[in-house]
Amino acid sequence: MFSIPDLAAWFADPVHWDGRYGLWFLLLEHIAITLAALLLAAVVALPLGLAIGHTGSGEFLVIGLGSISRAVPTMGLLFALVLLWGVQLRDFSLLVALAAIAIPPLLAGAYAGVTTIPWGIRDSAKAQGMTGFQRIRYVEFPLATSSMIGGMRIAFIQVVSTVVLAPLVGLGGLGFGIVQGLALRNYSQVVASSLVIIVITIVGSQLLGWLQQRTGDRLDPPHPLEKK
Amino acid sequence: MEWFFANASFVAGLALTHLSIVIVPLVLGSILAIVGARLVRARWVPGTTTVLSAVYAIPSLALFVALPALIGTPFIGPTNVMIALTVYAMASMYFSARDAFSQVPPSTKTTATALGMSPLQLFVHVELPMAIPGLISGLRVVSASTVSMAAIGAVVGVRNLGYLFLDGFQRRIPEEIGTGLVAVFVIAMAFDLGLWLLGRALTPWRTRGGQRV
Repeated sequence: MFSIPDLAAWFADPVHWDGRYGLWFLLLEHIAITLAALLLAAVVALPLGLAIGHTGSGEFLVIGLGSISRAVPTMGLLFALVLLWGVQLRDFSLLVALAAIAIPPLLAGAYAGVTTIPWGIRDSAKAQGMTGFQRIRYVEFPLATSSMIGGMRIAFIQVVSTVVLAPLVGLGGLGFGIVQGLALRNYSQVVASSLVIIVITIVGSQLLGWLQQRTGDRLDPPHPLEKK
Repeated sequence: MEWFFANASFVAGLALTHLSIVIVPLVLGSILAIVGARLVRARWVPGTTTVLSAVYAIPSLALFVALPALIGTPFIGPTNVMIALTVYAMASMYFSARDAFSQVPPSTKTTATALGMSPLQLFVHVELPMAIPGLISGLRVVSASTVSMAAIGAVVGVRNLGYLFLDGFQRRIPEEIGTGLVAVFVIAMAFDLGLWLLGRALTPWRTRGGQRV
C-alpha cells in the first residue's frame, strides 16, 4: 500500500505541486500561518517577558504558564475556540490556539535573556543615569536578543508542527495533505506532506539557531586575539 | 457538567485507554534516554544531539502517519502512536538526563572510583541518586507533553481522550470538548504530582528534618 518508488512518483507528478491544494500553495500557506501566529505571540510575550525580567516581579507567570500550557492539548483548545467564537472566525481561533503554545517559550526566552545579563552591566547602566526605559531600549533589549531568538526557535518548532491541525477545522496548510490523504487512504500523499513539513521545520530551526549564535556574540564577543 | 455526568463511564473508558497509551512510552522512553545519556561517548555527543533535536522537530501527526511507511506497522491503530510517543519522550528526556548527570560533581565521582567502585556501581549508587532531582524535573516536563500529545492520536483512529475533541467538534457539543480538556489536564497534573512525590521519596536526604542539604 506504500512504497518508496510510489512516493518518488507522487513527488514527480506536477499535478501534486500546482493549484489551490498543490504543495506550493499549501507550503506558502503553512509558512504564512506559522509566521502570523508567531508574530501574534511575540507581540504579547516579548514586551511582557522583558518587563518581568526588568522589574523582577511576576516570575511566577513565566514558570506557571510554562507548565500549564504543556498539559493543554492544542487540538482541544482549537476546537473549543472555534465552537466558542463561531466558524467564521476560525482563522483567528487558529492563530490564538497556536499563539497559546508559542507564548510560554517566548516569555521564558525574553525573561531569561534579561535576568542572565551580568549584574555589573545592568548596574552600570543605572549608574550612568539611564532611565528605566533607556535601560530596556539600549541595554537589556539588545543583550537579550539571543535568548529571545532561542525562545522563538522553540516556539517555531512547536507551532510549525501544530499548524498540521488546521485542516481539522477546515483551514489549509500542509496538514491538508495528511488529513485528506488519511481519509482517502492515499498514503503517498500523507508521507510526502509529512516529509515537506519535517524539512521546513529543520530548515527553520537551523536558521533560527544560526541567528541565535550570531546575536549571542554580542554578550560574549570572541577575544580579539583569538583566531576564529 | 451535565454532559460529563451523563457520559461518565464513556469518559472513564477513554481515560483508561489514554493512560495505557501514555504509560508504556513514558517508561520506555525515559529508561532509554537515561541509559543513553550515560552511555553515549563524548565523541558521539554532537551527532546524537543533532539527530535527537531533529527528531523532536517532527510534527507528531506527521510521525504518527509516517511510521508505517518507515517501519511497516499498520497505518491505523495505537502501535504507531505508542512508538512515536516513545521516540518523543526519549528525544526530550535525553537532554534533561544529560544535564542532570553533568551536574554530579566530578570530585564525588573520583572519590567513588578511588573507593574501588566499578563503573556500574558508580552509576547505580552514586550518579543515579545524585541526578534524581534533575531527572525528575525532566520527567515532569516529558509526562505533561506526552499526555497532551497522545490526544492527537485520535486523528489516526485511537480512541483516547482526543476522541472527545473530534466527536465534540463534529457534533457541536462544547461540553464534550471541555470535558476532554479538563480530563487531559487532570491526568497530566496527576502524573506531575506523582513524579514530585516520587522525587521526594527517592531523595530523603534532601528533605529530612525540614533541612535541604
